[in-house]
Amino acid sequence: MRSVRLVKIKKSFKDGTVIPDVSLNMPAGKFFALLGPSGCGKTTLLRLIAGLEKADSGTIFLGDLDITDWPIHKRPINIVFQNYALFPHLNVFDNVAYSLKLEKLPKSIIKQKVLKILEAFHLENHIYKRVTELSGGQQQRVALARAIVNEPDVLLLDEPLAALDFKLREKMLIELIELQDKLKTTFLYVTHDQFEALTVADQMAIMNHHGEIEQVGTPKEIYEFPISSFVARFVGTTNIINGTLWNIDQEPEIEVSGLGRFKVDLPHKQKKEWMKEGCDAIMSIRPEKIYISKKEVPNFSNSLKGHVQSIVYHGRSTQYNILLKNQTRIQVFEQNEEHFPQEVIDYDHEVNLYWQKENAVILEK
Amino acid sequence: MKFSLSSRSPTSQLPFTFGAPALIWQVLFFYLPLVLIAISGFVKVTETGDILGMTFDHFLFFLRPLYLKVIFSSFLLAFSNTLLCLAIAYPLAYFLAFTGKRYSNLFLFLLIVPFWTNFLLHVYAWFFVLDKDGFLNLLLQNLGLVQNPTSMLNTPFAILIMMVYYYLPYMVLPLYSSLEKMDVRLIEASFDLGATWLQTFRRIMLPLTKRGLKAGFFLVFIPSFGEFAIPELMGGDKQMFVGTVVSDYILGEETGALGAAFTVLALIFMLITAGILYWVIERLIPGKTHG
Amino acid sequence: MAKPNRLGKIANLVLVSSTYLFLYLPIVVLLVFSFNSEGFPSPWKEFTWKWYIELFQSEPLWDSFYNSLIVATCSTLLSLTMGVFLIFYAAQGGRIGSFLNLFYGNIIVPETVLAVSLLAFFGLVAIPLGLTTLILAHTVLGLGLVIPICYARFLELDHRMTEASLVLGATPIQTFFKVTLPNLRPALIAGGLLIFIVSFDDFILSYFCAGSASQTLSLYILSMLRSGISPIVNALSAVLLVLSCLFVLILFSLKSRARIF
Repeated sequence: MRSVRLVKIKKSFKDGTVIPDVSLNMPAGKFFALLGPSGCGKTTLLRLIAGLEKADSGTIFLGDLDITDWPIHKRPINIVFQNYALFPHLNVFDNVAYSLKLEKLPKSIIKQKVLKILEAFHLENHIYKRVTELSGGQQQRVALARAIVNEPDVLLLDEPLAALDFKLREKMLIELIELQDKLKTTFLYVTHDQFEALTVADQMAIMNHHGEIEQVGTPKEIYEFPISSFVARFVGTTNIINGTLWNIDQEPEIEVSGLGRFKVDLPHKQKKEWMKEGCDAIMSIRPEKIYISKKEVPNFSNSLKGHVQSIVYHGRSTQYNILLKNQTRIQVFEQNEEHFPQEVIDYDHEVNLYWQKENAVILEK
Repeated sequence: MKFSLSSRSPTSQLPFTFGAPALIWQVLFFYLPLVLIAISGFVKVTETGDILGMTFDHFLFFLRPLYLKVIFSSFLLAFSNTLLCLAIAYPLAYFLAFTGKRYSNLFLFLLIVPFWTNFLLHVYAWFFVLDKDGFLNLLLQNLGLVQNPTSMLNTPFAILIMMVYYYLPYMVLPLYSSLEKMDVRLIEASFDLGATWLQTFRRIMLPLTKRGLKAGFFLVFIPSFGEFAIPELMGGDKQMFVGTVVSDYILGEETGALGAAFTVLALIFMLITAGILYWVIERLIPGKTHG
Repeated sequence: MAKPNRLGKIANLVLVSSTYLFLYLPIVVLLVFSFNSEGFPSPWKEFTWKWYIELFQSEPLWDSFYNSLIVATCSTLLSLTMGVFLIFYAAQGGRIGSFLNLFYGNIIVPETVLAVSLLAFFGLVAIPLGLTTLILAHTVLGLGLVIPICYARFLELDHRMTEASLVLGATPIQTFFKVTLPNLRPALIAGGLLIFIVSFDDFILSYFCAGSASQTLSLYILSMLRSGISPIVNALSAVLLVLSCLFVLILFSLKSRARIF
């Protein structure tokens, strides 16, 4: 297993898709996720690594090897495609054995390896069937088996679960994590679904509409401490509140027109260069970090008043959409801890919103 | 994204030798002879075959009512053949695609078998039926309907029948292909909304089968214009069409150049009329075709 | 299925059945009378195989049959080979886009014109007319059929499949033989069958380009036709009809029949 390192990769297409300048490091043996909106260029990046596209400039490293000019078939990198791309003229066994046959391994060894992996993927009963006879989930597993049976250094996955229904997807995500854990192969998982990315990744990168990488980090880092409003909005939901920063060096506050001042936390590593007295800034608070109640509750750094506009029941949580005094809206998630909650919050009720200053993040406008 | 390995890998020179044979063959044995014959229509030759010079004489030779009539007859034949084929083929294709869908395999099989049987045998089959000593006459005589047997060959009627007989599958198959791909629910929706058969046909089916129609048109009109075998075999010497005239002149002793000129003339005329009809189809039937 | 009205449906059925009747009546009559012991126009006498026996003993028939077979086989092989080569070139990234249109020229030129042009051409280049010239001519027809059919199918192939093959370690050439070609097989078979039949049954090109020395089956039938009705030809028709049935059955056994039409 080796790491993959992209250095200053540039690629542009006639239809406008562009990767302006990307440098990314995907550590060896880790499950790396690349998350971004559809059409941003993340699949292109994947194809560049596999060799299916050639970059306009830049270098690609596999471990210490410069593989930028290596032809596709020489790279020890495999892909699991979104639509599986199984060979319809071959049965399951031959599909999986394809790469092994190319290596000219003895038949007995091929048979052994293929059967072993098919068993691990619960496909023993389908070995000699045509791939077109299989269900979506089964085809996906065949595609996976085919891609790992020859033990590649890197496995690329291009939205592999997109065609599956929700429950199956959840199950496959766990299986993928366990697989990667066992194989210790470097996985690069590309998706536009943040739930998938957050679930599987050891490390992830967020790509924006223009093909730029906005942030790289662990799922927790990215979720809890986004460094731009794009990341804050794209990963999970958040409340964006515009205001002005004051008192940066002592007890920082953000002033929001029509609502007043709120205390914020700016620990050392969050103090950025653009932060100056009186500058415009954004406060981002995740809905689950806000406490909602009709009563007065002490011990919170900040509070707001508003009234309930709509309520959405999500099963394990309830989402409240609150209208504030200055006509802006805030979302609050509350976990449904009890069957019979002590306090019932309903439409049009006046409520208080509370949050601790360290649970909000200040972002550049 | 359009697939193209060429966007990343340099194509070596070796593979081009693979692409070349087909192209060379096509140019050498298709386009070159055509150009040749076009040119030879302008060339004046002596009896010994020496080239004297370029001339329009050969072409002017054919700008006479007699030959223009031949071209016109061919056009008429091709046109009526196409229309007739269309009139029969469309309901048939409709039947294959919808009503008889369950047995479409069987019906297609029955359609293609004669299609893939030697053409001359079909001619013979109709000979058998229409000739003076043929089946139809025998039948009619036995039934007491006619006294003297008459040959129904050598008439434009016979030629037309034979042509429809031969060209029908060429019209049916593309239409069937288009109809089969069409969503039946569109027709159902049309009736649901209150349209009559004619309206549905004109507004829904015709535009959606435009592609099949155009293909069928090409496959029938163009070959029938230059049709040689059928008039030759069934029309005897009385009926003159482009194909027979061309054949006579080309195979004749000193009339090679004339034959060439007439071929080119007829070809030009055919392309023009085909182009016009194609344009008419485009205009008459609403809707876009893809490719 | 929509039920417009009963009248329309009945009319459709009537039309369709009469069409099929029209198609098969001459053939059936032909077949029936191939077993008649007396030559036509005598009415039915008794059942006999004798015309068939006479047919199979006819030497010129077998000669022309073999000739047609040779020409058809060679044309088919040549067309398919060159077609595959062309697709191989395209698969390796070669640009044939605009050149492809050259092969559609066959559609707008009537066969008579082509036959006549080739005749002049062969005369000019002093190639003696015979089976060779026929093969050259039929291969032109073949290219016009095989290439549009197979290239269209090639374009429809899922290109991710070829990408998958490359990624798994196959060279472009290996990919062509292991993935592309097997998936083109139905189109190749259909195209091959088509050109074989077209060549075998061809009349016009044979008439002009075969010369006086060689005779194909079509020309043999023509010579027999010239001498009027003969039960032997009926028998021949029956035999060839059976052969056609066989070919069509092969075509139908290809599951991808729908894509060819």
